[in-house]
Amino acid sequence: MSASPLVTYRRVSKRFGAHTAVDDLSLEIGRGEFFSLLGPSGCGKTTTLRLLAGLEVPDRGEILIDGKAVQGLPAWERPLSMVFQSYALFPHMSVTENVAFGLEQRKRPKAEIAERVRKALSLVRLAPETFADRAPAQLSGGQRQRVALARALVVEPAILLLDEPLGALDLQLRKEMQLELRALNRELGITFVYVTHDQEEALTLSDRIAVMDQARIAQVGTPAEIYEGPRTEFVARFVGEVNVLDGRMARRPGGKVAIRPEWMDLYRPGEVPAGEQSVTGTVQSVVYLGETLHVHVAIAEGQLLKVAMRNEGQLTNPISWKRGDQVAVAWRPEDIQELER
Amino acid sequence: MARAGWRLALPGLGWLLLWGGIPLLIVVAYSFMGRGIYGGVERGFTVEAYVQLLDPLYLGIIARTVLLAVMATAGCLLIGFPMAYVIARSGRWRRVLLLLVVLPFWTSFLVRTYAMIFLLRDTGLVNSTLLALGVIDTPLDLLYTPGAVLAGLIYGFLPFAILPIYASLEKLDPALLEAAEMLGARPATRFWRITLPLAMPGVVAGGLLVLIPALGSFLTPDLLGGAKTTLLGNLIQGQFTTGRDWPFGSAASILLLAGTFLALTWHLKRYGEGGHRS
Repeated sequence: MSASPLVTYRRVSKRFGAHTAVDDLSLEIGRGEFFSLLGPSGCGKTTTLRLLAGLEVPDRGEILIDGKAVQGLPAWERPLSMVFQSYALFPHMSVTENVAFGLEQRKRPKAEIAERVRKALSLVRLAPETFADRAPAQLSGGQRQRVALARALVVEPAILLLDEPLGALDLQLRKEMQLELRALNRELGITFVYVTHDQEEALTLSDRIAVMDQARIAQVGTPAEIYEGPRTEFVARFVGEVNVLDGRMARRPGGKVAIRPEWMDLYRPGEVPAGEQSVTGTVQSVVYLGETLHVHVAIAEGQLLKVAMRNEGQLTNPISWKRGDQVAVAWRPEDIQELER
Repeated sequence: MARAGWRLALPGLGWLLLWGGIPLLIVVAYSFMGRGIYGGVERGFTVEAYVQLLDPLYLGIIARTVLLAVMATAGCLLIGFPMAYVIARSGRWRRVLLLLVVLPFWTSFLVRTYAMIFLLRDTGLVNSTLLALGVIDTPLDLLYTPGAVLAGLIYGFLPFAILPIYASLEKLDPALLEAAEMLGARPATRFWRITLPLAMPGVVAGGLLVLIPALGSFLTPDLLGGAKTTLLGNLIQGQFTTGRDWPFGSAASILLLAGTFLALTWHLKRYGEGGHRS
């Protein structure tokens, strides 16, 4: 992150009736960053975004854009655009009219508007000659998504807010749009603030991620920091697959540790390499996932550990573990993550 | 619809034909016949009744009818739109407010119009309140004026304007207004460029639902307008009763029907597809 953040949340709180949507949240977002707000539904991520947009007013705390408090500044005067989950294209306007809307509000000359609309459509890979005059109802989901993106980008905002923009697209199209969003963020130098509940999407796209839980930020960091160094059990469990062990492995009494399934290995009891920690247990099941195999091992007190193994080809080189085998689950001590309580 | 589905419409079609279609044909036939001395019609073909409609006296009534109906429609839309807007945005109070809108229908239209007389007459609530407050010294002539008829029409037909406008505003996705706001549109721009265009089908439907019965109204002008505010509806009624000129009454009815038919045709052509114009 560059020296002076573009967006600063300073101890911001927002309540809706008895429900606290955002609780004492502080956050900094850097210039040009692809920043994701990640969390389960109802965690306050969308409200956090809408507070920045100006669509909600904080009860306490303040938000700064480029060092200036935006308190009292209506949404239509803030230097940002938004892509909505439902796209929110104006159904009574053509594609061109939709994209031109923001420029008309800024009172740009007609010729400039036409030129910028055409450029914006090309930028999101919609051929202007094909799509300019279509109504939103005549477009596919992916095309609507692109129009919404063009409409938001054409006004050249300092910040682009995206509220689960890919939620309604099928998997194939999602992957494609993810790559394009990342590329647009790099090319245009616009700061993206991205709300998603999809941890994989957040890891793929983001420079940094804020994981939110129950109106608060659980952890902020790069995808690697979040995935490899989760600070709480919530973050560890929400991002990726994880085994959480308590008691014996923790340095603090009563503490918990987390370890990713792919950082564990299986050995016959007594054959664990020197320097690795291990527990013994019984193989309960082997689950075939394609890229990987998950071996579920029952250890003491009925706890189940998940161990991910690379699939070397079950037809030619099947793994030697089967249900009922006695095994040692082993890992390197440095791969263990101590969790805060 | 299933291939045999049209048969389900047979009872309704038969009913309409018996009590709507056949009487209408009789009215059309009467309008081209001669006038009977004690009411009724004389056989033969003549367009005399239609020529009679061109008399300046009757043209004046037609003009007054159209003017009052248009004003009533405008009034209902201007009052009804904000009300529909508020109801569409009132969350859990919505059902209660909608119930209040249709509540007047629980009472007969006749009774409600009589209630207007009690409000507007010299010793009525409006005048006695103004007198008591010292705003006026002598009662205002409120009853038996075109203004009273207009007030009665607006009062009677307001729910017909509110309900379709409410229906179209209720469907309006709030995200559209937020999207416009994020693109720099101030509240007034959002109203003129997003809310109103998208509510237009409801506005037009509500307008027609007021305009058509207002054009044909005879009870309201009869009770509230007195002899001075005769409208087309009163004229028609009069021809079949005291006037004893059935062909002329029929011709005036056909004129009214033609007018409303044209308005409906325009509406179906423009908004009949159900979707938005592209």
